[in-house]
Amino acid sequence: MNWRHVNAVAKKDMKGITSNIQVMIGLILLPLIFGVIVPAVFIILAKTGNVANMNIVELIEKLITQFPAGEIKDKLVSFPTTQHQIIYMFANYMLGPFFLLIPVMNALMISLNSLVGEKERRTLESLLFSPIDLKSLFLGKLIATFIPTIAVTIASFLLCTIIVDGLTYSMFDGLIFPNWNWIIILLWVTPMLTALVIQFSIMISARSKGFQEAQQLGGVIVLPIIALAISQITGLLFLSTQLLLGIGLVLLMINILMLKWVAKFNQRHYLFERQVH
Amino acid sequence: MRTSIQVEQLCKSYGGYQVLNNVSFTVEQGSIVGLLGPNGAGKTTIVRLLNGVILPDSGKMVLHGHNPVIDGDAIRRISGVVTEGAGLYHELSGVENLRFFSKLYDCYDEKRIQELLQQFGLEEAQKKPVGKYSTGMKKRLALAKAILSRPEILFLDEPTNGLDPDGVKQVLTDLKAMNELQGTTIILCSHVLHQLESICDKYLFLQDGCIIEQGSKEEIENKYLKQVKLRVKTGLSVNGDHFAGYAVQQLDRQQLLFDLPSKDVISPLLEQILQQSWIHEAEIINNDLESLYFQVRGGNV
Repeated sequence: MNWRHVNAVAKKDMKGITSNIQVMIGLILLPLIFGVIVPAVFIILAKTGNVANMNIVELIEKLITQFPAGEIKDKLVSFPTTQHQIIYMFANYMLGPFFLLIPVMNALMISLNSLVGEKERRTLESLLFSPIDLKSLFLGKLIATFIPTIAVTIASFLLCTIIVDGLTYSMFDGLIFPNWNWIIILLWVTPMLTALVIQFSIMISARSKGFQEAQQLGGVIVLPIIALAISQITGLLFLSTQLLLGIGLVLLMINILMLKWVAKFNQRHYLFERQVH
Repeated sequence: MRTSIQVEQLCKSYGGYQVLNNVSFTVEQGSIVGLLGPNGAGKTTIVRLLNGVILPDSGKMVLHGHNPVIDGDAIRRISGVVTEGAGLYHELSGVENLRFFSKLYDCYDEKRIQELLQQFGLEEAQKKPVGKYSTGMKKRLALAKAILSRPEILFLDEPTNGLDPDGVKQVLTDLKAMNELQGTTIILCSHVLHQLESICDKYLFLQDGCIIEQGSKEEIENKYLKQVKLRVKTGLSVNGDHFAGYAVQQLDRQQLLFDLPSKDVISPLLEQILQQSWIHEAEIINNDLESLYFQVRGGNV
C-alpha cells in the first residue's frame, strides 16, 4: 500500500464528483428528501392530527404495550398524548431506515460511477499502466466516495435535528432528537456500512461492461441486501449502546477482509483484459 | 550496447483468437524502434504485455532485468506510455492531470511540470479543463504525462495522431532529443510511416500476430530492394525507352525515371549522364519506409 498514491487517487476522484451531474443531484436531493422533507412533513401531519386516523396509531399503541419494561417504555408511557408518542417514536426510531438511504444511495452512485467512469473515459488504461498497486487504487476510490458521503450524511443529520427539534420543541418543552443510539449509528455504524456498500460497488464495477450494467447490478444485488440491513435499523435503535458498538466493529472487520479480498480478486491483468479494449 | 528489451517466443490469445504468435525480438538500450503493422497486427498487445498489464500465454520477456509477469510495478516505474486514447481526465485541467500522474509515478515536481507545459506549448492553457482541449493539445499533454518521470523506456502508440505538421515536427524533435540526451529507449507504434523514418534505428514489421521482418532500414532495404527506381532531374533527353542499357521513362521535360537492378549501378549511370548533360537531382524513390513496408508485406499478404 502506498499512501501517497491513495491520497492522489482520492483527491482526484473527489474533484471529479463535482463535475458529475447525476452524482451531484443525489448528493443534494437525497439529504433534502430524507433529512428535511420526510421528517418535516410527518411531524407537521402528526402535529395537526392528520395521522391520528391512520393505522399507525394502533401500531404505536401495540408497540408500546409489547415493549419490555425499561427506560424507553417509561418515557413513551409518560407522554400526555398519542401524538407525542407517535412523533417521539418516529423521530427516534422510525426515521432511521429512511435516513440511512442517504449514505447508501450516495455511496452506491458515486462508487459505481468511479471505476466504470474510468473505463468509459478511457482513463483506466492510464491508471493501470502506472505503478499504482490495486490495493492503493481501490482504497483511494473508497475514500473518495466515503468522505463526501459521510459529510453529506452528517450535514443531513444536523439539518434533520434542526427540523425535528425546531418543530417539536414547543410540544415537548425540550429536545427529543437525537438519542445516544442515533449518534452511535451515525458516527460508527453508518461509516462502516457505507464502506461496505462502496466495496461491493467496486467489485461490481470491476465486473461490469458499462455504467448501465453496473447500475443494474447495483440495483439488483446491492440495494436489496442493504435495504434488508437498514430495515433492521429501527430494531437496532432499541439495542444497547455496547451492542451497537459491537456491530460497528464487526462491520469494520468485514471491511478490512473485504478490502484485501477485493484487491486480491481483482488482479491488474484481469481488470485490464475485462475493462480495457 | 546493453539489451533493454528481450522477448522470446511470446504468444497471446484472447477468447481463442491468437493475437501474438511466437514473437521474438530484442531492443537495445537507447535505441528507437518502430513497431509497424496494420490494425489488429498485435502492436498494442505487445506494449501491454511488456508493461505487465496483461499476461502472455507463453514466452519470455525481460525489460531492464525485470520480468513484467512477476515484477510489473518495477517496469511501470521506469516506463512511460502514451496510449492511443490519451487517457487523460477531462474534468481536470492540464496542470492537474500532470500533478496527479506525477504523484502516481512518485516524481511530483512543480518545476518539471511547468517545464513540460512550456515545452509542449500548453503553458497558457494549463488551467483549462482538458475536456476543452483540441485533439492536438490532448496528445501533447499525454506526451508530457508520459515523460514526466524521465522514463528509461517510452512506449508510444500513435503519438502524432491529431497533431498538425508543426506539432508532429516538434514531437519528433523532442523524442529524438530525449533519446540522445537521456538515452531513453523508445518503442513507437505508428501508421504514419514517413514520420518514423527520420528517427527510428530499427523496425519490427508485424502481421497477424507474427513478426514478418525486423532490422534497420538499411538491412531491410538491402534485403527487399530488388529493383531501384531512380528519378533524375537532368538536361538529358532520351530517345526510346533505354539509356546506357537501363530502362528509362521520361517523366517530364527535365525528369527521367530509371529502373535499375541495384544501387551499385547508380554512380556509373550518373557519370554517363554527366558526360552528355547536367544533373541537378538524383533520388531513389522506392526505398522510403512506406515502399519497403509494402514490399515486406507483399510477400506475406
